[in-house]
This record gives sequence, structure tokens and C-alpha cells, in this order.
Amino acid sequence: MTTTTHAPVATAASARDLTKTYGTGAAAVHALDGVDVDLAPGRFTAVMGPSGSGKSTLMHCLAGLDRPTRGTVTVDGVDLTRLDDDRLTRFRRDHLGFVFQAFNLLPMLTARQNILLPLELAGRRVDANVRDDLDTVVSVLGLGDRLEHRPSELSGGQQQRVAIARALVSQASIVFADEPTGNLDSAASAEVLSYLRRSVRELGRTVVMVTHEIDAAAYADDVVVLADGRIRSHLVSPSRAELVSVLAGSTHRDA
Amino acid sequence: MRTVLRASLRTHTRRYVAAFVAVMVAVGFVIATNAVGSAAKSGLSAEFERAYRGADLVVGQDYGLDRSQVEPVERAAADQGAAADVIGSAFTTVTHDGTPLGQDTSVSTVSLDPELRRQTVVAGRAPAADGQALVDQRAAKADRIRVGDRLVVGTDGDRRTVTVVGVAKATTYLSADLYVPWSTLSALPDALPDAVVVRTSGDPAATSAALSKVTEEPVRTQGEYVDARVVTLNQGFDAIGILLLLFATVAGFVAVLVIANTFTILFAQRTRDLALLRCVGATRQQVVRSVRVESVAVALLASTLGVVAGVGAGYGIVATVRALSDASTLGPVALSPLWVGGAFVGGVVVTVAAAWLPTRRVVRVSPLAALRPHDADVLSRAGAARVGLGAAVVATGAATLAVAVRTSTLPPLLLGGMVTFTGVLLLGPVLVPALLRVAGRLLGGTGLATRLAAANAVRNPRRSAATTASLLVGVTLATAVLTGMASARGALDDELEVQYPVDVALTGSSTLPDDALDRVGRLDGVDRASLVPGVRAELPGAGVVPVLTPGSGARDLTRDPSTVEPPRLTLLIPGAVATTMTDGIPERLRLTRDGRSVEVATKVVGSEWGSAVLAGPGVVEALGGGATPQALWVRVADGTDTVRLTGELGAVARELGLGVSSTVDSRASIEKQLDVLTWAVLGLLGISVAIALVGIANTVGLSVLERGREHALLRALGLTRGELRRMLAAEGLLLALVAAVLGTVVGVAFGWVGTVSVVTAAVQDVPLVTPWSELAAVVGIAALAGLLACVVPARRAAKVAPAEGLVLD
Repeated sequence: MTTTTHAPVATAASARDLTKTYGTGAAAVHALDGVDVDLAPGRFTAVMGPSGSGKSTLMHCLAGLDRPTRGTVTVDGVDLTRLDDDRLTRFRRDHLGFVFQAFNLLPMLTARQNILLPLELAGRRVDANVRDDLDTVVSVLGLGDRLEHRPSELSGGQQQRVAIARALVSQASIVFADEPTGNLDSAASAEVLSYLRRSVRELGRTVVMVTHEIDAAAYADDVVVLADGRIRSHLVSPSRAELVSVLAGSTHRDA
Repeated sequence: MRTVLRASLRTHTRRYVAAFVAVMVAVGFVIATNAVGSAAKSGLSAEFERAYRGADLVVGQDYGLDRSQVEPVERAAADQGAAADVIGSAFTTVTHDGTPLGQDTSVSTVSLDPELRRQTVVAGRAPAADGQALVDQRAAKADRIRVGDRLVVGTDGDRRTVTVVGVAKATTYLSADLYVPWSTLSALPDALPDAVVVRTSGDPAATSAALSKVTEEPVRTQGEYVDARVVTLNQGFDAIGILLLLFATVAGFVAVLVIANTFTILFAQRTRDLALLRCVGATRQQVVRSVRVESVAVALLASTLGVVAGVGAGYGIVATVRALSDASTLGPVALSPLWVGGAFVGGVVVTVAAAWLPTRRVVRVSPLAALRPHDADVLSRAGAARVGLGAAVVATGAATLAVAVRTSTLPPLLLGGMVTFTGVLLLGPVLVPALLRVAGRLLGGTGLATRLAAANAVRNPRRSAATTASLLVGVTLATAVLTGMASARGALDDELEVQYPVDVALTGSSTLPDDALDRVGRLDGVDRASLVPGVRAELPGAGVVPVLTPGSGARDLTRDPSTVEPPRLTLLIPGAVATTMTDGIPERLRLTRDGRSVEVATKVVGSEWGSAVLAGPGVVEALGGGATPQALWVRVADGTDTVRLTGELGAVARELGLGVSSTVDSRASIEKQLDVLTWAVLGLLGISVAIALVGIANTVGLSVLERGREHALLRALGLTRGELRRMLAAEGLLLALVAAVLGTVVGVAFGWVGTVSVVTAAVQDVPLVTPWSELAAVVGIAALAGLLACVVPARRAAKVAPAEGLVLD
């Protein structure tokens, strides 16, 4: 069994003794139980684990969407646990991008408005640079002719691609994707995943994706496997066989 | 299904809060009205009994009796060995230390017979002889009158000096500032008897028969008389009650809008639950019955709470008024079962009826809806049919209003107003989003939060329209009333200018002393003063009167100079002089002075400028000329304390031996009455505005629930808590603003149409006035209230952590 290899020298995001507890006393549930993890920059990391393993909670804490009960989270050299809500919000706005499973886009805005929303929220001007970025991203993601459509006029795959474009145009240092293919058929899934991978390979971004699908995880460079709120393994460029055996172990134990 | 129903009621109670509050306020309003009304009624009835206490018989019509009948009745009563006294009143000038208490002070009677005395003496003692007086405790406080003070009652030759011997508890019925025995009051020429009360020593029937022989006035027992007066009084109360019911109906209508909207939103949000019920085997009937029973449960509970709240508020108001007011005119509360029952049943029926349409839509939910992914945004669009129907209804209403304008009648006005408004409501889903877009663009420059709010506000045109409709009702009525009142006031001002051209006129019985102008001009509050030249001449039947020829200075200080400019050889005779002309007023008459005479045309006018006539060019010249200052006219500065100034002017006039005719008090009191009326109407409309605001808070609150995930997404992408709150506040502000502006436009139009068709019937040339500042205040208050309505939902939305919100359904 492969265990955690060397920690990367530079980290895009890291957590120390990360603990998240819901409820108190006998009813307490430890969603995360002292997690230490370092995520490498410029890589596509998948976070895997069975339902209830704490993978979504880990992502929420790493992305500053939720506050841990104990421990620290450092993203881009900033300790998120020390920020107040407004600073944390501005940090998300300026440094992070998100692609969720569903309900990624605001229904009353067009695709273009949705893509530019983080910039608008930050009060940044849409200048020539941004327009260049937008053109590049839109052509990479193949969204050119869908920009003036509203989400209800887009397919599920297109909606997810708009969400990816939003994360890329805002120059997010890390893109967090939470089950981005959960609602898609296999063709659309493959499309979205390859776009996520291309944004790492071609645009040099860092992507952290939560998924429970082994096929999705196969697109990632590294895979973090969680079980019962603890890191079970952190695999660097695992082979499919390696992945399957680690997951089989965890699912077997949980089963 | 019972398990589902119970669980559903438990789960959704919080979402029903707005419907609860709307029903509660409407039901409570009706019941509180009845409670306060019944207290006032029983209080006044008790006062009626007290006013005629001790009497066995009362002589007189409900409105009083002829003065000539008093003496025969008194004499006949005395013959029968019965005690009789007169209850009467007069409006006259009462002077305290040389200062008049006001223009017209009310003076009523106090019986010298302790058995027949209706007043309660709270200080000093009761009058025991002619020339002694009781002063009302309110008047005593306001005018600083103490026991032992001497007051002069009446004017000129009919003055009587009285000594205050006691203070009377304030009352409402037959109340006055001063009470003197009838023997004192009857010395005044304008004292009016109201009734003769008789206390018999033996058989009331025999006395009654004896009295009936000497007078044509009805002789009734005290019980019969009081009952008759109470009935008249109750008719007045019933009229007020019906008027208040009108406002309650408006409040009820607004409540219907709020409730219907609440249920529509609630059922839309529960489409999936209901579809799931269908999936697991519930029939359509079962689902519909379940939601209808739910609405009945809400209706019963809310109406019950409304009854409780209304009874509580009613008793509370009555208790507060009794504790705060000197005159405890409110008796015990006697709630009418009809009102309480009616309010309760009305509340239930209104709620169930308002929920009927939304529940009907539930039937259309197909079981498959449960299986489809959550469709967060159903953009409903107004159909062409609705636009056509709305336009047709507005046109019909406008045509009816045109009929109202042409015929100056009330029924087509009310009908046309209601029809037009219905049309506006029908067009709401088209009009409101369009206005929201415009308003959003106007405010859009202020930031992303506002732009998002504008986009959110137009997402569901029907919901936005329904939300604004409830506020629209109150704003439209309020602005219509304000505009109508402003126009009516403009018309009234014109009337008042003609009736009271001169604020204060000081008229002498000879040429005015040289220092008169200087002394009057020095008084604080005198804007301008001018001497009016004239001569004194003999007017047939009225003796020697001042004949004035106002110069430009005097004319310019009048409210309407044209009223004091008689044509050549014409005499303007005011009512004050006309009533003294015992021989009637011929079309032409001859004025004489020192052997010279001139024939002039006469014109009796309703204007007031004291006891003097105005002469056109040529009259004074024909009488020998040599005009000297005969009167002094005063223009009072705006915002002056008229009671104080009248007092000071009176003091100066007395020293100079001049008569005073002041119109400023009358003018001020008429304007005050209009103010009170306007505020009363606005206050009553406030109830429906309050319900509408509950509706806005509700819509925004339910939207917040619905958009939990969206807000979480925005927060994840970098919208701060403050910005989220601002976004929701902006949405409420936009909705309120659009309702306020649309309502104001419609209301001003209604106000004008109403003015033209109703007021024009009474007064010619009504100016159409737009009360800009009041309208701005209405829009401002509505906008502010819209913002406030969003405080709670916005705070609740901002509290949710993004991670929590993302997993919301």
C-alpha cells in the first residue's frame, strides 16, 4: 500500500490539525478529525472518499466557506482561520474559484455576466487584459456562441463549463470543484474533466476537486483519500490500479 | 393525510407568519374600533343621563326650544309647585383681566337647584346666585382662571360681570368653558335654550299635563327624552362606525392580496413535496383537501389571535385614554357580538377565499414534478390576454370617471375609481416589472448589489406585482386623499378670502385717535396695518354707521382686494350691518349726513370687516367729503399665535374705544378641522399600509428562503455579508418605491378627478393642487418602510454560512 510520499516544498493550500465537529456531547459527529494535508500548486488534486468521509467538509474548510472547529488552514500563505467574515469573503473573491455540482450560476444573469461576476464583486474594471483572458478561456472551453444565453438555456455540461470559465477568468490561484460532474452524463463529464485538466496543464492553475467517482479522479494528478474524517492516503500521480486498491480498502472498511 | 397535514403545519408555521399578521391586524382593527366606539357611546350615554339628572320632565325638541316658550313653562311649573330650570348655551366673548379668552367662547348654564345641577364641582363651590359662575377645569387651566376671578361675559351693551366661585369637572356633552345661571345667560341676546328641566314635587303626570297646556313644545319624561337623544347620538355613531368599516374593508382587501400572495409562494415552494405525495399515491382530492384544510387552520388561528389582539388593543386604548384625559368621557367597553362575530367570520372567510385560487393551482402539479431536478426559477410572463383585459378594464373605469366629472355625481366616481384601480392591478405584472427595470437602472449606478437586486425583483413578475399591489392600495388612497384635500383646501381658501378679506378690523364710533395706527402696528404678529378713511352717515333703519372707502394700503393688506372695492355709487353691506337694518334692505337707498344725501345701489355681501359699510367712488364726495380715519385694518403675519394677538388687539381696542372684528381665529379653526380630517384619514389608511409592509417583508423573506443556495453561491464568489444585506434591502426598496410612485400617480389622478366632480359641485373654479411635499413624504415613508421590512429577512439570510447554504434545497 502506498502511503503519503514527501510533502511538496511549496504548497497552494495546507491544513494542520484540521477538525470540524457538528453537535456536542454524545451526539457529536467528527466530520474532520485532525487532518494534516498539503496541496501542491499547479497540480490537479482529487479528494476522494465514501459518503460521510468528510471530503466536502474538507473542501469547504480549505476554501473558507466554513470555519473549522480546530486547526489552521493556509491558502496562498494566508491563515484563513484568522480572517473575519468580510476579509475571508474578499479573500475568496480575489484568490479562489468555485465549480459546484449544481446551481453554479445565477439564473437571472447571462453566461457572460456570470463569468464576470467575481470581477464585478471585486469592483475590478473589465479592461483589455480581462477581455483577452475571457476570449482565451471562452475559446478553450468552447463557449463562444453561448455567452449571451441564460443558464436555463444551457445544457448541464455547458453550465459547468461556464462555471469553470468564471473561476479561470477571475485568475483564481486555486479552483475548488465540488462533484462538478455529479449531474452530468458520461460524455459531458469527460468534457468538463478534460477542461479542468487543461486549465492545469495549459494555464498553470491549481485545481482541487471533490469526487466520489473513480473515473473522475483518474483525470487528476494527485489523489487524497479520506475516510472517517481522516486522511487515509495522499497519492502522487497514482496509477489506476493503485487508486482502486486504496479505495477498495476504504470502502471495504466502511461497508 | 392527517400526519402530512399536521407535519406540514408544524414545518411551515414560520412561513405563515405574514398571513397571520395580515389577518390579525385586519380583524383586530375592526374589533378595536368597536371597543373604543362602544366605550365612547356608553360614556356619552352616561353623560346624557347625568345632564338631565334630578329632572322628572324635560320640555323641548331634540334640537332645543323656542325662547318665547321658556317663561310660560317656568310659570306653569311654579304653579304646580315644581322646580324648573333652563339648560341653554351661548357663544359670546368672555373677557378675563381685559383679555378675551378667544373669539367665541362657549357659555352654558348651571342650575342653582342642587338637585338639578349636572356639573361636578372639583374646586370651590357651586353658584348659589345670579352673577356667579363655574369654570370648566380645562378652560381654567388653559386661561389661568382661578376661583374668585371676575369675568365679563358678552359684548357692548349686553355685558354681565360674573364671579368665578368654582371649577367644574370637564365633560363632553353640553360642555362649555363657562357655566352661569340661566338668569345671567338669558341677558345675552344670543343665548339659546336647549331644554327646560322640571323637578316635580308630586305627580309628574299631572304636571306634564299642565305644562302641555301652556306650550306647543313636547313635554317628555326624563327617560323618554334621554332615550330619544341617545338614539340620535347612536345614529351618528353608527355612521362613524360604517365609515370605519370602509377603512376596515380596505385593510381587508390588502390582507387578501397579502394572503393570496403568501399562499401562492408557499405552494410554489412546496411543488416538489406535493408532487412527491402524488407519487406515493395521494389522489388530487387528497392533496387539495390537505392544503385547503391547512388554509382553514391558518384562518381560524389568525382570526382568533386577531380577536384577542383587537379586544386587548380596544381595552388598552380605552384604559389609556381614561388615564390620560381629564374628561373621562369613555365609559365601559361593551363589545357587540355582531361586530366581534362578524370580524372573526370575515377574517376566516377572507383567508380561506384568498387561499382558494393558489390551492387550485396545486391540483395541476403532476407526480413527475417531484422527479425533475429542482427548477429554481420559473419565469412567469404576463399573457397578451391579461394585457388586453387590463387595458379594457382601465378604459371602462376611465369612461365611468369621465361620466362622474360631467355629471358631478358620487356613485360613478366611486365605481369608476374601483374599476380603474382593478385594471391597474390587472396590468400589474406588465407595469410593475417595467417600472422595476427603470427604477433598477436609475439606482443601478450605485453598485452590483443594487443591480442584482433589480434583476431579482423582476424575476417573478406576478409575485412582484402582487407584492406591490398591496402597498399600491394604501398609497393610492392616501395620495388621492392628500391631493383632494389640497385642492379642496385651495377652493376653501378662495372662499375664506372672500368671506374673511380682513384679518382684523378695528372700527371706532368716531374718528380714530392719532396714535391708533402706531400702537397697533407695534404689536408682535401684526404684519401690516392701515387706516381706512371714511365718514359717518345715517343708514336707513341702522342708524349712523361708518362709511369706509379703503385706500390702496388697506386694500393691499386684504386677502382678496377685489372684495373691498365697491363699484361707483354702490354700498357693500356686510352681514354684520345687514342684520341690524330693521326695515329690510332695499336695492337702492339714501345715505344722509349733515343734511346732504346721496342715493346708492346696495349689495349685501358675505364678507366680514366689522360694523361698517364700504362705499364706492362718488359716495363720500356726495356727502360732503372730508374723510377721516374711521377704521384700522390689520394683516396678521403667518404663523402667529392668533389667540394671544387677538387678546392684545382687544386690549388696545378697549383703551381706544374701538370695536374688534377678528377673523383669524375662525380661519385657523377651519384649517385645523381640515388638518384633523386629513390626518384621521391618513392614520386609518396607515393600517392597510402596515399590512402591505408585512406583505413586502413576507415576499422578501420567502424569496430569501427560496434563494438560499443562490445567496450561498454569491457569498462563495465573494459577496460580503453587508453586500448581501444591501442587495436584499435594495430589492425591498425597489418594490416599495415602485408601488409608491405608481400609487402616487394613480392617486393624484383620482384626487383630481374626485375634486373636479365633487368639489366643483359645491364651489366654482376649483384649482387643481398638487401637494408636492406631502406626496414626496408619502413616497419617502413608503420607501423607508420597504427598507425596514427587509431588515429581518436580510439579517437572517446574511447569517447563513456559505457552506451551510450550499447544501440547502
